Amino acid sequence: MKLSSGMCPGLDENLLRSLRAADIRTVEDLVSSDIEDLAQKCSVSYKALFAIRRVLLAQNTAFPVSGADLYEELLSSTAILSTGNPSLDKLLDSGLYTGEITELTGGPGSGKSQVCFGVAVHIAYQLKQSVIYIDTTGGLTANRLLQMLQTETNNTDEQMEALQRIHTFRLFDVGALLDCLYGLGGGGLHKVCVGGGSVKALIVDSVSAVIAPLLGGKQNEGMSLMIQVAAALKTMAKDFSVAVLVTNHVTRSSSGEVQPGLGVSWSHVPRTRILLERVESGASGRRSATLIKSSRQACLIKEDFDLQWWSRAEGERGGETSGKRKLDETDT
Amino acid sequence: MSESGTQLFARLEARRCLKDVEPRLFADDGGPDRGEVVEVYGPEGTGKTELLYHLLCRCVLPEAAGGLEVDVVFVDTDYSLDMFRLASVLDSRLNAGGSAGSDDAVLRLCLSRLLVVRCSSSSQLLLTLHFLETTLSSRPRAALLLIDSISAFYWSDRSEGGASVAKQEEKLSRCSELLGRLLRDYRITIFATCHPIRRGSNGPPSSSEADRSHLCRAWQRLVTHRLVCSRQEAQHNPANGDEGSGEQRNWQVFTVHCSSWTGTKGSRVSSFRVTDGGVEFIWTPRPPPDLSAVL
Repeated sequence: MKLSSGMCPGLDENLLRSLRAADIRTVEDLVSSDIEDLAQKCSVSYKALFAIRRVLLAQNTAFPVSGADLYEELLSSTAILSTGNPSLDKLLDSGLYTGEITELTGGPGSGKSQVCFGVAVHIAYQLKQSVIYIDTTGGLTANRLLQMLQTETNNTDEQMEALQRIHTFRLFDVGALLDCLYGLGGGGLHKVCVGGGSVKALIVDSVSAVIAPLLGGKQNEGMSLMIQVAAALKTMAKDFSVAVLVTNHVTRSSSGEVQPGLGVSWSHVPRTRILLERVESGASGRRSATLIKSSRQACLIKEDFDLQWWSRAEGERGGETSGKRKLDETDT
Repeated sequence: MSESGTQLFARLEARRCLKDVEPRLFADDGGPDRGEVVEVYGPEGTGKTELLYHLLCRCVLPEAAGGLEVDVVFVDTDYSLDMFRLASVLDSRLNAGGSAGSDDAVLRLCLSRLLVVRCSSSSQLLLTLHFLETTLSSRPRAALLLIDSISAFYWSDRSEGGASVAKQEEKLSRCSELLGRLLRDYRITIFATCHPIRRGSNGPPSSSEADRSHLCRAWQRLVTHRLVCSRQEAQHNPANGDEGSGEQRNWQVFTVHCSSWTGTKGSRVSSFRVTDGGVEFIWTPRPPPDLSAVL
């Protein structure tokens, strides 16, 4: 971070010039250098320089927090959001935790987007909280959300209210994604909450669609952007107490087994990872979910669930909806 | 630079030596002494975080429950500290310690020995380490500095540094120099996790090229012990009777290969699994002393 005048009291143009002459240009340079030495070189009082150093440090460092205080804060601000599907909730240890990133990974047609729609609808309608949905694949349609809502309630007012709680952003490159996340982080979150209900969930479908094209080759730029996206998502999750759900594609490892995409450097980012796969036998809506990374449940647990759960009708509309479902599945 | 009497005293007074923090991990009597650095290296899913929580608990628990009662400073660069998991491991250790049920007050006392700092860039890490100097001098009981992870800013630094490797490594080098000075002046011990940047082979950890550190020289010079973590295939454990209905559980076994460069040069392989109560070491027969030390 470059030193500039007015950054703190006592740091005026003259001092800046003498510091630059002594090869001190950034805040880090100033903080790392020997103050006594520097005071002599720039003919400034030791006390003044020491005070400036102290102010700069206080402005720019992260403050230590006691573990007990942090724990208290988390106890009061963390919430668990049910996904609406009991089998998934079992895997996730009751649901999506705020302050954490959960990842859904799977091949094409494995139902990641459908699960995201279902979660968004459940949170907006049942839990009455706002959801931000960032769509990078173009797979989100208001019709589909409405369809799912129509099986929950026949009241059009309630449907509209729930739809209003789902705020969508459609972007197709990583720059736009970063801008959107920074904008939300820098106060956009409050503007987005309208009609009560704070934002409790952020869904990015899919994060690999914008990052995967940048990886490979010389690797520098792409990896750095990926880490920036990771940092932005984590900051959003922690600072605003939001549950972040992202989707990722899969690749095959050298030994032939299926593994989540985006490589080793992304694998530390989500706290929990679930792999979705089609079930060979059974109805077309059946999927199996395997927990491949979790800090709460130690073993690899597998659960079968029904993609049609979020749109389950009371019985009579079952036939119609399954027909429409087949059409949408081939899109994802 | 002048310091007050209390600061001088705080600096010179010996901090607790952590040689015995986890003897099962290190070679005979080879635990980290004051002023030494342990790097915990391994890909995702190999139990590094659980190992850190295990060490944390060992440090902050009261002596009655098997702890060392020292203060710990945790530098979180990954935003990955899970306080709930930490609290649940502390809770189960306190309960297992035989004390008449752990009450909230004891848990909070243990957690208050932990200081958490979150950094979001390598510049902030550098400035924060400078700031931590005052924290260390005002806390004579602080004996352990945990950094999770030291490699978090590798890609951002690389891209900011452009084509020059020296520029790319500059920030981490400065942090390492500062850490070296903190180690010398305050005689603390440092444990730092490091994530690899490419998928390594699953062969024996002592030989694979991929486990070589990719961080700057200044950091590599500081490291005196290296724990390389890996995951073994899930093993079948026959029903233990305490499972009740005889259901089999697949335990994921994690191995740690420790190499040390100071004092007793040596290596040690240990394995553990993760239960609700934290890390549980699996007893393996001690190998005969390795005379041709593996480095």
